[in-house]
Amino acid sequence: MGMGDKDKFELENKSEDPMNYSPDMSSDWRFGGSNLTNTSVGLISVGNSMSVSKGDLVGSSCSSASMVDSFGPTIWEHPTNSQSLSFCDISVPNNSNTLSTLGMRKGTPASWRSGIDRALDMCWNPQNSMSKRAARFSCFNGGNFNDMVNPFAVPESMGLYSRGAGMMPGAQDILAGNGMKSASGVQSQKNELNAGEALKDASLTVEHGATDGSLLRNERKSESLVKSHDEAKQGVGNGGSGNESDEAEFSGGGQEEPSMLEGPGGAPSTKGLGSKKRKRNGQDTDLDQPKGASQHPGESAKDNTEQKGDQNHSTGTNKATGKHSKQGSQASDQPKEEYIHVRARRGQATNSHSLAERVRREKISERMKFLQDLVPGCSKVTGKAVMLDEIINYVQSLQRQVEFLSMKLATVNPRLDFNIEGLLAKDVNPSVTCWSFIYASIFPDMPMAYPSLHPSQQGLIQAGIPGMGSSSDVLRRTLSSQLTPLTVGFKEPTQLPNVWEDELNNVVQMSYGTSAPPPPNSHDADVSLPAGHMKVEL
Amino acid sequence: MNLQSSSSNPNFLKLRFTKGFLRALMRIYRHRSKSSSSPREISQRYRRIKLAADASMALAVGSRRLWSRAVLWRIRNQVRNRHVFVKRVSSHAIKKRAQKKKEEQYHLAYDDQENKLRKLVPGGAAMDICSLLDEASHYINCLTTQVKMMRRIAEICS
Repeated sequence: MGMGDKDKFELENKSEDPMNYSPDMSSDWRFGGSNLTNTSVGLISVGNSMSVSKGDLVGSSCSSASMVDSFGPTIWEHPTNSQSLSFCDISVPNNSNTLSTLGMRKGTPASWRSGIDRALDMCWNPQNSMSKRAARFSCFNGGNFNDMVNPFAVPESMGLYSRGAGMMPGAQDILAGNGMKSASGVQSQKNELNAGEALKDASLTVEHGATDGSLLRNERKSESLVKSHDEAKQGVGNGGSGNESDEAEFSGGGQEEPSMLEGPGGAPSTKGLGSKKRKRNGQDTDLDQPKGASQHPGESAKDNTEQKGDQNHSTGTNKATGKHSKQGSQASDQPKEEYIHVRARRGQATNSHSLAERVRREKISERMKFLQDLVPGCSKVTGKAVMLDEIINYVQSLQRQVEFLSMKLATVNPRLDFNIEGLLAKDVNPSVTCWSFIYASIFPDMPMAYPSLHPSQQGLIQAGIPGMGSSSDVLRRTLSSQLTPLTVGFKEPTQLPNVWEDELNNVVQMSYGTSAPPPPNSHDADVSLPAGHMKVEL
Repeated sequence: MNLQSSSSNPNFLKLRFTKGFLRALMRIYRHRSKSSSSPREISQRYRRIKLAADASMALAVGSRRLWSRAVLWRIRNQVRNRHVFVKRVSSHAIKKRAQKKKEEQYHLAYDDQENKLRKLVPGGAAMDICSLLDEASHYINCLTTQVKMMRRIAEICS
């Protein structure tokens, strides 16, 4: 029955799949080893293909995670909606419902793709940002747990579906921010599933697949020994959690996005991570024994680090073990982790205090070196005190310069009006004109940057200039037509900045209390067009 | 540090800061009266422009950094306090200044470099030394971008 349902679902997917991004691509990398969800790849690939296809490091998995969060309310609604429909039949309206969700999400896929910082910008309120980030990250965790816990007793074919349904209780738990709870909730849900309800919401699977895919992508990226270990375990479904602890441990090696999430994530996320690590440690020890000797070094290292993670501050014993296993190894201070995994160098004190002190000193000296590069003329300076003096002076001078320049801008009588007249031939919004003029002057090298873009991509230009409106003439005059090819595949800049520019408008408006109305939307779109060009440079 | 440098990618910053700042400037200039030479007006505009510069910079960075969050927080509180009675604010400010002087005598570490840095970097009071240095480096990065952009704008406009 399960298989029958799965086939039916498969058919549904293939038949009505207007939003199919690139199932082949996603299926290739997403499940390296397990073919659990090859069939439902089409719908699931919403977030993943986005993140992979563009491959910008900043955006990718964080964008999928943020995508989950930014459409969190709607996503959580949809599962409940579809659950209200009968479970056993995959009704077309159900799918279209979820597909409409996808459609909504497709509407701004590239916006997420353009960077997690956009999503973060939206919540610059300090408290909001922390809570949202915590929720986002715990959602990330929750996805892992579902991965890990569910398929233990469930056959592979059901794995996806149980995961999908498991997201629902996981939803509330995610918002509560406790990964363990979601695991237990998921188990109870899994029992329900085993009773025979096989309907899976596409939205659930998609959403889950989003986090799943991002996790798996990171798994693929982290080329560690443990990866093969995890793949073997993926039949049991440990991949997700394995990923995360791997990333936490080996984040020093690679710039993993989840580790980036971890870094600024703050306390709640790390606590969740820590609990997960402990739990996985228990499972790992069970599964470790049958594993081959090839993974010994990596495994021992991992176990060591995991143990260190467990005993957060009792670094003494771990240092001893670390010392035994890695005689004479360098101190591996992995800056991205929340746990400080330091191995004592040979012949050095293993006192926990002195180790922590050394770690702290190393961190400080590392940052001082970085600052040395920033502050001009400080390459010769050695010593913390002198360096700090220089830094302080430099910061003060910069701040004074900003003040001076703002005074200058206040007193200057901008001849913008003249420029406007000079540029204008038709009735154009003046602010747009002088802005674009100033913009063009500030970024004069912009048109020359991309002569190599071939005109075959012109087709996208039409799509990329939706809101140009009347100011298009001006823009085309100020910015040469070479620029228009720059909108290739960057449709999102026109849509994206609207998301946070309104925010910007509000704040800046509020900040100095003018009652100017926010610029019209066309203005946004216009100005964002050169912004889009800017992004190409980056 | 790689990650930090990527997040404080100067082109990103330039772009976003310039956009926000230009827009704010436009708004400020639009509200400018034609006879705008009175020093009071100029000083008011100066303050507004400075505020706009800080705000747009902090917004360009977003909430990724402690200092940017602190700046945005401060701006928001300023806006709120602006609606408070002005007289009360000034007396309160005087009292605070007196208090500060007393504190100066007692705090021996006042002139310490670390404290100085804390004062300079927004939101620095609540950071430990490691993150303070972190934030300071990013802050310096953003300040240099800001200065560069503002200089260019001033060149164009004058």
